[in-house]
Amino acid sequence: MSKFAIASCKFPSRRLLLGLIAAQLFVPLVPMLAGKAQAAGLDEIKKRGLIVATEDDFRPFEFVKDGTPTGFDNELIEDLRKYAPFEIKQQILPWTGILAGVSTGKYDVAITAAIITKERKQSLDFTSPIADATHYYVKRKDDKSISSIKDLSGKTVGVQAGSALLARLPELGAMLEKEGGKLGKVVEYTSYPEAYQDLALGRVDYVVNTIINLKALATEKPNVFEVGQPVSGKSFPAWAVAKGNTELLEFLNGFIAKEKENGRFAELQKKWFGEAFPNLPVAFEPEF
Amino acid sequence: MSASDIVAILQGAVVTVTLSLVGILIGLPIGLALAVLRWADVPVVARIVAVYVSILRATPLVTLLLLLFFALPNIGIAIGPVSAAILALVMNTAAFNCEVWRAALMNFPKDQYEAAQAIGMDAPQRFRRIVLPQIVRVSLPGLVNEMSLLIKVTPVLAVVGVVDITRAAVRIGAETYEPLPPFLVAIALYAPIVFALVSLQRWIERRQLFAEAAA
Repeated sequence: MSKFAIASCKFPSRRLLLGLIAAQLFVPLVPMLAGKAQAAGLDEIKKRGLIVATEDDFRPFEFVKDGTPTGFDNELIEDLRKYAPFEIKQQILPWTGILAGVSTGKYDVAITAAIITKERKQSLDFTSPIADATHYYVKRKDDKSISSIKDLSGKTVGVQAGSALLARLPELGAMLEKEGGKLGKVVEYTSYPEAYQDLALGRVDYVVNTIINLKALATEKPNVFEVGQPVSGKSFPAWAVAKGNTELLEFLNGFIAKEKENGRFAELQKKWFGEAFPNLPVAFEPEF
Repeated sequence: MSASDIVAILQGAVVTVTLSLVGILIGLPIGLALAVLRWADVPVVARIVAVYVSILRATPLVTLLLLLFFALPNIGIAIGPVSAAILALVMNTAAFNCEVWRAALMNFPKDQYEAAQAIGMDAPQRFRRIVLPQIVRVSLPGLVNEMSLLIKVTPVLAVVGVVDITRAAVRIGAETYEPLPPFLVAIALYAPIVFALVSLQRWIERRQLFAEAAA
């Protein structure tokens, strides 16, 4: 080290100079690395297979039971394997990397319940909605202080980071302000199991998620959790492809339309969500 | 938690141990090579190594991994989750290992090196016979420390879809809505893995002590 110390004393600018040279080397790489990957068209997909990304901890849409992926989306993927004239390659990973992976072209489609939002539509295209996912809140069953929306004023809420549920919390804020209240502290989690656990422990007072997820939770743990009222307007989850990949989008929409027609969609919705949603729109333009 | 859940976590343990071992086995010699390049003050290269080590020590592993995983395909390099995970682990641990090795090299007594020169050993011989055996002993505690950190940082590899002990536990919690039992099993698995590593270190140290006593 002494050698370097002497050197840098003698030439104080050398380190800076080296830093600049290094920066020169790396800067041209940045646009190259950040550059948009070309989304694969159907022709390419037919050759190499469709790369599908799903989540692993998003019951009832996708989760892993006894080592095998299951849930609403995974059963649809099984059908898709029969429907598609090409191979389906499935990658299972946490939510954090999924949408980034689709917009950079790492995966062709995210077969998960990605809620359609205005912001996401800037970099992604969405298929026909797969469920009605109006946002509700869930509270501890023994928490008597919450019985309606206005009781949520000032209380601590848990949501998933980077989720549409987080993005649409201002809607709940507006509902509360109308009654003279306000949105309390917001705690963000990387995924919902942690949020539910913190709710049970009393670190947050309520958690916001889609009605489907919350109903599944309350059915599994009826003594701990209780679902409240809606905290948002209409909201729909769908599968996401890279922006501008219309060929793949049309192919997937065709698959969804067929599944709706032959009653399989309603059957799977009843199995996993406890109810069918017969009036889902074919395309949805989000307000938020 | 069912028996198959335990099996799932054990499979995660195989992944954790394998990735850690691969990361350690590749990262260790690379770290040594980087340290030697800096120690020998190879023109330009030593500077590049210094910059590399500084950047890598300042980059969180998870950020590096996401960058490798999502950016490399854009420049035409296809990379899977496991290779991206190994690459990120190696790049990261090599930088930290480099500093541990370098600390030992800097403290290496110059007179021994000169004595070896005086009796006519060439550079590779001097390094292999005189320097390496001694710096290994000095570096060992620091290196094992870095290895145990590496094992415990493997859960971040899950962001690209690698299912290690912790991710397997998270999945079970997400299915049963009971996250605590799988986490307890997970913790119970990390302890013996790190303990095995530390025992290996003790064994090597004891062996060296005996060797010295015999000499």
